[in-house]
Amino acid sequence: MLVTSADVQSGTRAGRVVMLWLLIGFAGYFLAPWYILEDGFFSFEWLDGYPFDTDYAPAAFLISQGEKIWLAPLILPLLLPLFVLKRQSSRLFSTLLIVAGASGLFYLFAQGFSIGIRGFNAQWMATLFGDLGDRQFGFGYGAVLLSATFLFYLTTGIASRGYINGDIFVVGAIGFIIAIVAIFIFFPIAQMLSSALRDNDGVYSVSVFISKFSENKIWGLGCLTENRGCGVAWNSLFLAVIVGAATTLLGLVFALVATRSGFRYGNWLRALTVLPIITPPFVIGLAIILLFGLSGSVTQWVAGVLDLQPTRWVYGLPGIMIAQMLSFTPIAFLVLIGVVEGVSPSMEEASQTLRASRWYTFKTVTFPLIRPGLANAFLLGFIESMADFGNPLVLGGNYDVLSTEIFFAIVGAQNDQGRAAVLAIVLLMFTLTAFYAQRRWLGRKSYITKTGKGDGGSHTLMPKRILWPCYTIATVWVVFTVTVYSMIIYGGFVETWGLNHTLTFKHYITTFAVGYNEFGIHFKGAAWDSFFTTLKIAAAAAPLTAMVGLITAYLLVRQQFHGKNWFEFGTMLSFAIPGTVVGVSYILAFNVPPLELTGTGIILIISFVFRNMPVGVRAGIASMSQLDKSLDEASLTLGASTWRTFRKVILPLMRPAILAALVFSFVRAMTAISAVIFLVSAEYNMATSYIIGRVENNDYGIAIAYSTVLIFTMLTAIVLFQLLVGRNQTSRPFAQSRTNVG
Amino acid sequence: MNQSELQTRAASVEFRSVSKRYGTEVTAVDNVSLHIEAGELVTLLGPSGCGKTTTLRMIAGLEMASAGQILIGGRDVTQLPATDRDVSMVFQSYALFPHMTVLENVCYGLQASGKSKKASVERAEYGLDLIGLKGYGSRLPSELSGGQQQRVAVARALVLEPQVLLFDEPLSNLDAKLRRQVRDDIREIQQRLQLTVVYVTHDQEEALAVSDRIIVMKNAMIAQVGTPRELYEQPASEFVADFIGEANIIDAEISDVTDGVATVHVGNFILSLDARGLSAGRAKVAVRPNRIILQSGDEADGRSMPGVIDKATYVGDRIEYKVRTGSGVLFCTSEATDHQWQGDAEVRVRFDDNGPVLLENRA
Amino acid sequence: MKKSNNIAAAVGIALLGSVSHGIAAEKLTYYCSAQEDWCQLMAKGFEEATGIKVAMTRKSSGETLAQIKAEASNPKGDVWWGGTGDPHLQAAEDGLTVAYESPMRAELNDWSISQSESAGNKTIGIYSGALGYGYNEEILKANNLPVPACWEDLLKPEYKGHVQMANPNSSGTAYTTLATIVQLFGEDEGFEFMKGLHKNINQYTKSGSAPIKAAARGENTIGIVFMHDAVKQAVSGFPIKVVAPCEGTGYEIGSMSLIKDGRNLENAKKFYDWALTADVQSRSLEVKAFQVMSNKAAESSPQAPDLASIKLIDYDFKKYGSSAERKRLLKKWDDEVSTLPR
Repeated sequence: MLVTSADVQSGTRAGRVVMLWLLIGFAGYFLAPWYILEDGFFSFEWLDGYPFDTDYAPAAFLISQGEKIWLAPLILPLLLPLFVLKRQSSRLFSTLLIVAGASGLFYLFAQGFSIGIRGFNAQWMATLFGDLGDRQFGFGYGAVLLSATFLFYLTTGIASRGYINGDIFVVGAIGFIIAIVAIFIFFPIAQMLSSALRDNDGVYSVSVFISKFSENKIWGLGCLTENRGCGVAWNSLFLAVIVGAATTLLGLVFALVATRSGFRYGNWLRALTVLPIITPPFVIGLAIILLFGLSGSVTQWVAGVLDLQPTRWVYGLPGIMIAQMLSFTPIAFLVLIGVVEGVSPSMEEASQTLRASRWYTFKTVTFPLIRPGLANAFLLGFIESMADFGNPLVLGGNYDVLSTEIFFAIVGAQNDQGRAAVLAIVLLMFTLTAFYAQRRWLGRKSYITKTGKGDGGSHTLMPKRILWPCYTIATVWVVFTVTVYSMIIYGGFVETWGLNHTLTFKHYITTFAVGYNEFGIHFKGAAWDSFFTTLKIAAAAAPLTAMVGLITAYLLVRQQFHGKNWFEFGTMLSFAIPGTVVGVSYILAFNVPPLELTGTGIILIISFVFRNMPVGVRAGIASMSQLDKSLDEASLTLGASTWRTFRKVILPLMRPAILAALVFSFVRAMTAISAVIFLVSAEYNMATSYIIGRVENNDYGIAIAYSTVLIFTMLTAIVLFQLLVGRNQTSRPFAQSRTNVG
Repeated sequence: MNQSELQTRAASVEFRSVSKRYGTEVTAVDNVSLHIEAGELVTLLGPSGCGKTTTLRMIAGLEMASAGQILIGGRDVTQLPATDRDVSMVFQSYALFPHMTVLENVCYGLQASGKSKKASVERAEYGLDLIGLKGYGSRLPSELSGGQQQRVAVARALVLEPQVLLFDEPLSNLDAKLRRQVRDDIREIQQRLQLTVVYVTHDQEEALAVSDRIIVMKNAMIAQVGTPRELYEQPASEFVADFIGEANIIDAEISDVTDGVATVHVGNFILSLDARGLSAGRAKVAVRPNRIILQSGDEADGRSMPGVIDKATYVGDRIEYKVRTGSGVLFCTSEATDHQWQGDAEVRVRFDDNGPVLLENRA
Repeated sequence: MKKSNNIAAAVGIALLGSVSHGIAAEKLTYYCSAQEDWCQLMAKGFEEATGIKVAMTRKSSGETLAQIKAEASNPKGDVWWGGTGDPHLQAAEDGLTVAYESPMRAELNDWSISQSESAGNKTIGIYSGALGYGYNEEILKANNLPVPACWEDLLKPEYKGHVQMANPNSSGTAYTTLATIVQLFGEDEGFEFMKGLHKNINQYTKSGSAPIKAAARGENTIGIVFMHDAVKQAVSGFPIKVVAPCEGTGYEIGSMSLIKDGRNLENAKKFYDWALTADVQSRSLEVKAFQVMSNKAAESSPQAPDLASIKLIDYDFKKYGSSAERKRLLKKWDDEVSTLPR
């Protein structure tokens, strides 16, 4: 009497879900403007002329006026489920839903792709049907709502077939993630690949691709035999291998110092790990020029002392290497400190009680246990170095690498999208191989020996013959890092670096001046505009990233379904796609209807969401693995649906992870450049793109001042976050009950 | 709605040739059929990995059967997910939601099934009262002791008046003394409310104490079903005999079966035992340690055999002996603690009249 | 009930407010390829002068051309102002921009009009700057190098590792250099010159003005750039001296084009006319832009290189701006020059 009979309940649930989506789809078809609104929804400019003006009209109004009649058939799949709402347990119900969803989606996208801004997109259609004499713009709110309806018809139908225990929410979530990953990761990449296969007139040609792909500029080996440069592919590879190895080594040194040296300020070392995340691009490169350039302080000083002719040694491989090592060592440290700490002390203690010396223990127990972690750190450094754009741009000299070459293939005087696509494919080949290696070969192979259960003991100290070299390297590196960052801060306060070192607030005033006028506070500084845009975009992207990441993590950790490995690979893939590649492919894919997003803020938000999604997923997986699965199961057996369980149990318990994902994606969105530089527009200019403009213009002072402001903005965000999470833990003592639970 | 007394909606549970396979390799439950009556407390007992927890989770709907049919209250629920089954479960870890108060925890299922806030709270408070935690509603689970958390978990499941209530090793996180008390509480509530309870444990003593019937599982299959007494006194197989309590398994020979009574040769003496469907041939006999009687002296009477004390251990309420006999080393206990044979003492070994049982399965 | 009515009313008012606001706003999407502060000045100046809301993107001319091309089937921009003329000419050639004859044409210099006519009036010159090079006095002195005065001087072996120019593949400035040398010395000799120069080059930068900026910062000695870029560094206080090569030199015409199928064509035309007025062009001095402006009446800085006193070649914009010729020269340069050892 308390709980209604179960089959009725599940029936009404599917029915309710279908009704909800039917209403949403209805709104999409009859109420919301079908096409994209040029001035955005919130300008409300579209209300003028709505609902009859063809630019703003909903699909139903368009058709009733005899316009865009090819949209008419969409009403069929939309209303189809109405016929079976009463017979939910029948197989017909699920069949019809699947048919309605799949055919609706197919037709919606088919019409979108075949009829574009100049009528039929494909020649054969124009020949077949004659000239259309009409055109259409990109999908607007109406089309988006309707496609969501079709998608969830489809997933609800599949769920009603009993897939994944007939769980509507889980199937829907899987469908949703697959759909957005397909649209925003695979579709653009596919577009890019197809553009690589076309010659300059847009005709597909494999031979053009082969000749572009096998170009000497990419694969040439001149550096081995003659006094010439090698191909960009080899340059990138060589650089990435060196940087991967060097950052791994440095990361290990720091991890050992932090955990195995008795060094009491290990936590301060951890603070270093946030540096690469909060440092805007170019800044490190600029600081290195100021230190090591031809007229750099260090170069000049060394040349003076040794009476040498100063050289431009830093431009090229050495400069990029130093900058990337500065940038990525903390990442390796972050990976390795977990690994080094994860080696259970009792293993080492066991070894010592077996009469092994410290050195012998280290050599035979500790080191083999952390070896997979080392490989992991290496591959991460490798991928990061491959994808890095800012440092080679500033410090590259004549050492061309793929990421910058792609950029210049597009924006340079050669202006060759095909070549950019080919280069992007080469770059993608490298990063994907590394990514694949990391996942398949190392992903599952973990030697972490921590059990989580009263594993007493403390880590043994390193043997002296390792300790002292570690100390030395770490000290030198910390001093170097501190110097570089001090230069950055100092550089924003001098008149003109290298010429006039008078202290001044000039650059800050130019960028961030605030005045008062009759309307109140007036943001006079030149940078405010891009600063606010950046904050806005980053703030919009952060919750979406966290949401997509957590839903994905939930599906990966808690649900079993076919093709889960591929699902995981697809969602983590964007980690291995360098930003420049994302930028190029987004421009190619999203400039034309039906998905017409260039020039909007949305495309920036979307690019951030998918660039940072793997981080959200990882944070989610890490924290969800610590939640006892029986919590979910308890909720389910208490009659709560999966969706309710997700909302009421999982989300609240994942608050720290959610906050971490939020802050991380916020911060990353503020410092991203490689994809952004292709996607910024008049209205949506981002901080990093503004900074690159200043760098180009030799205004190092302003670039550095702006960067400093960004660094402190992000630091504030991170500190606030730490405070928030810290308090969170003390006021609600989950810790104890979690150990009970776990 | 005015209710202060929980209703009984207990229903039966039936498995028809149910199997659960993971991939192609692992079979967790293999062609199991069972029937649990409404209002009965049945324990699934077995060593770890025997499939008992998977069986329980299939009743809950947390695992879906790969083959076969599951019926609750006569209705086929094989395809229904956990949410839609009228079954509640108490987890080994209790699985109390750490971010909700005790009251919110108990209300959770009520609200999920669409009851109003007020009605849920009323019902939840009644449930807390029932398990003796009145007034603890505003605490967080982490502020309760293990036993209290356990009882909250029970209340949370009870207030939903499920058709079947499931317990997954509910006592394993409690200390020995508390275990006995909570065990009795569970049994008491079950009998008072006439609930159908399925209870998983690997502790045979707990199973014997709490159950109406016990289902012993081994290697994904049912080894034996019966009341605690049947299982203890008439184990069907060496495995059951050995898993429930301790048993001496002795090789024997059936020479003849007449009217269901077998003539069994064990060592040098002959027993008449219930044939349990066996025919003449090699067989095994199980004897509980407390059913073996040691006597001094050396007179051969045809009902006893000679033995030599191998080892004697005093454990407080009894003395445990290992005795070398013609049928191997036998383990027996004596509650006569005042007298203790020393090693190498010669004794006569006799079986109690109800002691030896032929094992149905010869293997 | 009452409360919700109030809320509805408030929302309604807010909606109305934003609607009327939305309709009133006239706008212009403006792509700018000049230096940031100049772009800002133009955008704000136009907003102030007309009340039309300007959305500006600043990107280099190459980037902007790439963007306009990418957006061709669905243009987002309205007007493209600034940046060297070649990409504008190429845009005209590719049909990405539209012809427009401004009433301001009468006030313009001849070189501006003739460039416009060569592109079927699809673009117009707004400023002009001659190619040359600049050197860092202090570094030259520190290395005991002679003072260069001609193109030929740059081939001297003592300048090895001291000369920087942009990569013609990525920079319009460097392409102008290549085209100038070819026009000045003839194609064969011109390429011999480039090969000789190659030996002395320490880096082919990506961006056109980077060589002189590096020189200003002491990261380089001689940078081949547009003279006004060098002047700007000198005026900023860097120890830069500007050289107009004795053999004569080419020049660029910074241009402006209207983007085809732009969404605010009328406003774009307003901007176009406004940007050609003498007053507006004179304001270039506020942002240290030392180009010669196209309006005859526009003021110019005394520090600006005087085009009249420089030996200018008769630069064939039509030929060297065409993409076929450009591709041919670049490929030749790639194959014959850039692959040589240094």
